[in-house]
Amino acid sequence: MKQLFLLALLFIGFQSKAQLFMTTNGEVSFFSKTPMEDIDAVNKSVSSIINTATNEVAVQMRITNFVFPNKLMQEHFNENYLESEKFPSATFKGKIKESVNLTVAGTYPITASGSATIHGVTRPIELKGTIVSTGSTLALTCQFEVKLVDYKVDIPKIVFAKIAEVIKISSKMNYTKK
Amino acid sequence: MKKILLLLFCSTSLFAQDDLLDMLEKEDAKKTTFTQATFKGTRLINGQTVETLAKQHLNFWISHRFGSINSGFIDNFLGLDEAKIRLGLEYSLTDKWLLGAGRSTIEKTYDFYSKYKVLAQSNKMPITATLYGGMTTNTMPTGYTTSSGNVMSYQNNLQRQSYFGQLLIARKFSDKLSLQLMPTVLHNNKSESIYLDNNLLSMGFGGRYKLTNRLSVSAEYYKNIVDKEDYEEGAGVAYPYQDSFSVGFDIETGGHVFQLHLTNSRGMTEKHFIGQTLGTWGAGDIFYGFNMARTFSLEPKKK
Repeated sequence: MKQLFLLALLFIGFQSKAQLFMTTNGEVSFFSKTPMEDIDAVNKSVSSIINTATNEVAVQMRITNFVFPNKLMQEHFNENYLESEKFPSATFKGKIKESVNLTVAGTYPITASGSATIHGVTRPIELKGTIVSTGSTLALTCQFEVKLVDYKVDIPKIVFAKIAEVIKISSKMNYTKK
Repeated sequence: MKKILLLLFCSTSLFAQDDLLDMLEKEDAKKTTFTQATFKGTRLINGQTVETLAKQHLNFWISHRFGSINSGFIDNFLGLDEAKIRLGLEYSLTDKWLLGAGRSTIEKTYDFYSKYKVLAQSNKMPITATLYGGMTTNTMPTGYTTSSGNVMSYQNNLQRQSYFGQLLIARKFSDKLSLQLMPTVLHNNKSESIYLDNNLLSMGFGGRYKLTNRLSVSAEYYKNIVDKEDYEEGAGVAYPYQDSFSVGFDIETGGHVFQLHLTNSRGMTEKHFIGQTLGTWGAGDIFYGFNMARTFSLEPKKK
């Protein structure tokens, strides 16, 4: 009896570990397009976890890890717009709505609903994306748009013409079993 | 056995959404996150900050120091009738290393310097440390009278050179407050008087406090370590030089930094503002001045 329990313990313990898919070098990039100036930046050290047992998703990124082609822009982005000293990270947590088993190889269009926290402001959000599973790895791609006013990102009027009010965000992450 | 089973159930049901975020936070805490923008500019007021420029960026500095406020309204419009200037360029070879040069009105001085960021403040490192050193060349005609009243004559060009070195140590304590220490050595190949030591040690203290995202107040003080009595005994006159103290505002707009300040030093190179400050705040020898920096990106465009 005891051995059976231990076996069960081992099995369940193993399974609960295998439910987690994780990455620490996911990519999130954003793009702002105005007639004056195109601005793009990329963060290549985004962390994310998918729990395939519950289909829960969590994403976290450090604001300071966004790299801009122009270093002055990067400083302004951190100092004046996203205030990374006060709000160091942006996060998303949510749940995949579709009842899919991501541990089975295949391509799944998914919708994740949850909440995003950017610049200290938390708002409900729904993200559409695609997950390609090989069974042991997951590749997620996702595009969405964010309105700056929603997250209280203040753009001064003088530079307003240079920064779009709606920012296009795209992400690409490759998860491995943890 | 039942307890183990219970424990097991607890541990498997713990993976709620918040715990996933907690796990990510732990993962992110392992990564190094560097502190950004300890100071707005590469210069605090007269002296330097720990900041260097991003790779392949060029900084153009225009600095003015007007006449002293106590120089009279009719005679000198409270100092605004005249200005000493310094024009300077800085170029960054890497994100940590920059080279600079400038030309000052005061004693027709050329300055050349290099700055290298040795340590960068991060979640694993409490401070930023930068090495700064350089030289100045005085191109005045030989036999001129200095502002302290001594006559300087040069026998060769080597005597016209001065050297300076600083270790800049700064910490950004919060998004608003940054403080800096600047231990300094200064060496003049030829001193103004035989009673003045060729070497000068000084300890600098500086800092800034952000009032808004674009406006900060800054201050800078250099405490010179000199034996004034020894000088007075030998030379028979009072020691001519004072410690430098400056306060000012930094205004940042896009690619520009404007620094407006009041200082008792009129020089804008280490040799002058640390080593040769004549005025005192108490006597009203205060100079209004400004520095203006414009940064240009010389990075080749990607794509």
